[in-house]
Amino acid sequence: MTGESMLQVRDLTKRFVLRRSVGEWVRRQPGETHAAVNAVSFDLARGEILGLAGGSGSGKTTLARMLIRLVEPDDGSIVLGGLDVRALRGHDLREVRRRMQMVFQDPYSSLNPRLSVGAAIHEAGRVHHQPGSEDAGPFVARLLDLVRLPAAAAARHPRELSGGQRQRVAVARALAVGPEVLIADEAVSALDVSIQTQLLNLFLDLRDELGLAMLFVAHQLSVIAEVCDRVAIMHLGEIVEIGPTAEVFHSPQAPYTRTLLAAHPRPMALADATDPEPT
Amino acid sequence: MLDLESRARIVGRRLRPRRLYNWELSAGLTIVGLLLLAALLAPYLAPYQPNQVSVLDSLQPPSWHHWMGTDFVGRDVWSRVLYGLRIDMLVVAVITYLGLIVGVVVGTVAGYVGGWLDAIIGRLADTVIAFPFIVLVLAVIAIVGPGLKGVAIGVIIAGWALYARLARSEMMVLREQPFMMATKALGYSHLRAIFRHALPNLVRTSLVYSTVDVVVNMLVLAGMSYLGLGQQAPGADLGSIIASGQGYLLSAWWITTIPGAVLVLFGFGVSLIGDGVTRGGLAMEAL
Repeated sequence: MTGESMLQVRDLTKRFVLRRSVGEWVRRQPGETHAAVNAVSFDLARGEILGLAGGSGSGKTTLARMLIRLVEPDDGSIVLGGLDVRALRGHDLREVRRRMQMVFQDPYSSLNPRLSVGAAIHEAGRVHHQPGSEDAGPFVARLLDLVRLPAAAAARHPRELSGGQRQRVAVARALAVGPEVLIADEAVSALDVSIQTQLLNLFLDLRDELGLAMLFVAHQLSVIAEVCDRVAIMHLGEIVEIGPTAEVFHSPQAPYTRTLLAAHPRPMALADATDPEPT
Repeated sequence: MLDLESRARIVGRRLRPRRLYNWELSAGLTIVGLLLLAALLAPYLAPYQPNQVSVLDSLQPPSWHHWMGTDFVGRDVWSRVLYGLRIDMLVVAVITYLGLIVGVVVGTVAGYVGGWLDAIIGRLADTVIAFPFIVLVLAVIAIVGPGLKGVAIGVIIAGWALYARLARSEMMVLREQPFMMATKALGYSHLRAIFRHALPNLVRTSLVYSTVDVVVNMLVLAGMSYLGLGQQAPGADLGSIIASGQGYLLSAWWITTIPGAVLVLFGFGVSLIGDGVTRGGLAMEAL
């Protein structure tokens, strides 16, 4: 299922400068820094879903945002298909952002309330001159179908849709620009459990249909267990353990992973969910 | 997987149109609409030329020939009020909404870009706001010279700052919204992000505020004309008509009272619209 490596991340680091005291400011000393993400490295292959798990404040979201430079990294490298993402500017940066799309956590605020579903999806495709985007109707209908929404949804405004439907629209908008990597930043965390399952299935389908590589950020281990091929566990800005999901959940090596797994209400269910399915 | 549940819910769920109208809005729109109509149709409604002098008919009280009487050189007050209203409404609309457009665009860009640009624009706006409004307008008139042009330039220079500040603070909030972050992630240009995604979401506050501003500007315009700094004689505008009747307040009350009442009516109507929009706006918060 997984192919060649598409995205290589090496030693990616983000430091936030803490407020300097008056004394430090007068003496022109640099402020104390806090590394939100510290020397993180991983690879992502075509058709692979990599989970990113960890507690609040472990740097998951900062890491995800750095990949498309919504947050500027301080150190390290991001290479997408041979392109050094950190060195890009202007048009090239926009192009690389097109290739790596993001779905945000809150489906209630990630869509412009004034744009209809169809307008939002069509705009994304047209800006990047995606094939078929000259003709709004069929273009939008195809994308809505891809996320299993009826074509009639195009005329609706976000406020008329439920959380799960909005998140599908957000996915459709991301897909409209023809990405190769999809970053889901807690994309199902705000949804209730039954809707979560539907969306997770959608992500799996999309991976199979489009061959997308996905970075799946989530704090819920059960969600990770259901969709991810591999999982990286983050703690205090570092990846403490990375490996195939089943392996990590069955025999965690890092102490923090064990703590995290033990904190799950039904640790055994996680291991079971990752067992290879009987054929 | 067809996800039938989603399909059923989308087809079944269409929100009812919300109540946008209320009596304040209807009453305000009616008053302002009638005044606007009167102003637009002034050439057809006015029985006399606004500057037609007829000394024999001077200081006539309201009658069938002169609905609102005549002034000290026999000009028909009703005709002059119609033409005055025409010029006042035009000037007020232009200065208020030019100020709004300039202010909202400048403020939105400042809030979006941030950094030193924001610091410069922010301090500039603060300086303008800290200046007494009338004094600033007077200063500009002193430079440009008396007349409607001077008043207009002065009011725009003094008026953009509040809109800029309003738009800037709204933009700061909007900037943190995921859908604004999404414009970046989707690779949209800054112009697209600002004008298509941010502006429509923050312009409403400024539009509501502009109903207050219209009334204020109308009074400033009339006030300047009253002081002889706005509309120059013999041109008619509400302020200059009032000023011309000042000497005859006791013997010919209609020259000052009627244009004054029209001014009050206009202000009342616009304020009602503002209240109505605010109330209706709460109902369409999600829009």
